[in-house]
Amino acid sequence: MLYRETGDFKSNYAADQQTFPIKSERYLFWAAMAFAFLVVPFFINDYWEKSVIVPLLVWAMAALGLNILTGYCGQVSLGTGGFMAVGAYACYKLMTGFPDLNIFFVVILSGGVTALVGMLFGLPSLRIKGFYLAVATLAAQFFLVWLFNKVPWFYNYSASGQITAPERTIFGIAVTGATAPPWATYLFCLAMVFIFAWIARNLTRGQLGRSWMAIRDMDIAAEIIGVQPMKAKISAFAVSSFYIGAAGALYFSVWLGAAEPTEAFGIDKSFLVLFMVIIGGLGSILGSFLGAAFLTLMPVLLKNVMVGGLGWPTDLAAHIEIMLVGGLIVFFLIVEPHGLAQLWRLAKEKLRLWPFPY
Amino acid sequence: MNQHIDPGSLRADDGIERGGMLLHVDNISLSFGGVKAIADISFDIKKGEIRAIIGPNGAGKTSMLNVINGFYHPQEGTITFRGEKRRHMRPHRAASQGIARTFQNIALFKGMSTLDNIMTGRMTLMRSNILAQALWFGPAQKEELAHRETVEKIIDFLEIEHIRKTPVGRLPYGLQKRVELGRALAADPALLLLDEPMAGMNLEEKEDMSRFVLDVNQQFGTTIALIEHDMGVVMDLSDRVVVLDYGRKIGDGSPDEVRNNQDVIDAYLGVSHD
Repeated sequence: MLYRETGDFKSNYAADQQTFPIKSERYLFWAAMAFAFLVVPFFINDYWEKSVIVPLLVWAMAALGLNILTGYCGQVSLGTGGFMAVGAYACYKLMTGFPDLNIFFVVILSGGVTALVGMLFGLPSLRIKGFYLAVATLAAQFFLVWLFNKVPWFYNYSASGQITAPERTIFGIAVTGATAPPWATYLFCLAMVFIFAWIARNLTRGQLGRSWMAIRDMDIAAEIIGVQPMKAKISAFAVSSFYIGAAGALYFSVWLGAAEPTEAFGIDKSFLVLFMVIIGGLGSILGSFLGAAFLTLMPVLLKNVMVGGLGWPTDLAAHIEIMLVGGLIVFFLIVEPHGLAQLWRLAKEKLRLWPFPY
Repeated sequence: MNQHIDPGSLRADDGIERGGMLLHVDNISLSFGGVKAIADISFDIKKGEIRAIIGPNGAGKTSMLNVINGFYHPQEGTITFRGEKRRHMRPHRAASQGIARTFQNIALFKGMSTLDNIMTGRMTLMRSNILAQALWFGPAQKEELAHRETVEKIIDFLEIEHIRKTPVGRLPYGLQKRVELGRALAADPALLLLDEPMAGMNLEEKEDMSRFVLDVNQQFGTTIALIEHDMGVVMDLSDRVVVLDYGRKIGDGSPDEVRNNQDVIDAYLGVSHD
């Protein structure tokens, strides 16, 4: 058995606060991380990198961001695609404007720029809530995509209106551009996501996270016990946009290599990330990863089974894939409205008592 | 006032003796459009006492609490808290000055555990900035652990150890009321406002809650203003009682004085107009 926890043996509060309080779970996590960092890079090929793992990491980063805003702070946003575009264009402008700047800092700064834009578009949240706020963020989505289409300065006056990522290196190894080896781009994305998932965990378990959740659960009571609504909401927008912007920068520079705003950052991307967060579990770091994994891996898996395994024509498989993924979303939402993360929690609780179900 | 003063030290020593004036409500009037909720009410709360606010439904008791903690802004009159006069302020400022409260209808954060709810009560006392929190290890964790210690004392005091990690949405009503008291206590308040802490409780739960209120007052020396409909509870617990009716003050004094006040009896039992 993986989980055996027969009682509460913690003797200090620090032990009680750990991310993985159960020993076997902690070892499992570090083993998985060691595998991801030390073993996977030796086997990863171009297909796995470009269609499976890097997309998974990029979407996980975006889902983390949206989960902070929607899952932890309760502010619905449909502007994710637009904010990813801000991250991508900030990344492009920084890469072309400062060729010597390390790509790591470029991605961080792109997140910072997006955080500022996110704070600006978060201001309506001080007045409006729920669906009305969703519509206000929808305006951000359309405005930002329109802006990047219309103002040539953003795409450096290129004839095609596209932005293309030049080659940038870390420790002399290319992580962006056409010649970047798969293992390098993979490791770069993995390291970024690992660091920022850890930071998200820290922010949500501390005082700031509690102020976000207090605003989510009951904003009036939160204000009366001393949470400043403006500070909590705007900080949630800033942190969330930072993550989404960094995800947009990785999406453009590492994964796609070239992008065009309407297609790469459309409203469908906003919905995709929102679905990931809802399916994975609102208000859960693990849920962001599970949701991103579900919506990026499931289509790949279905396609491989139908085209590769059963030999169906590609167009038929594509349509059936859309239907199946949609059906699965509905299925999971009916079975567990609180998402995959909740399913995982329940499974752990059951395992704790197994085989004595009383 | 300087916002950077550590409220912890601020609350510990405000220079007011026990029995001295903690809060002064002067000629407060509050109306919503044409409806006058509170009309020209004045009273005071002394440090260390339990002050009850009673009155029939719609008398303006909860409005009065909302004025005191800055949620409603009165059209006229002033509030003096610890010698500092004010009329308009945001509720979170009142919280950082040391006014905490519970609500008539429970206003807990349902998705969070008991522990997190009470930790949120210490919001105004925690200082670490966003970067320290992002790194966690170091100052943020140290602060978190220090506050956890205090919160655990409150959990012990309220005898809710067993539900520490339970999301409060799953708790029964009586326990939720207790967690809410814990969240208010966590703020280390100078003045604790309790809005019907015993509403909807059975006799046993009421006795428990009364014991907690008395213990808070005696052990921590916290000043308490209390709204309650159960006259037995009010008369037994409070040092002084103020009675409101239709937004006016009709009685003020010790429980015995109030009990024998003709206006109060009329307000509660009705008066014949013949």
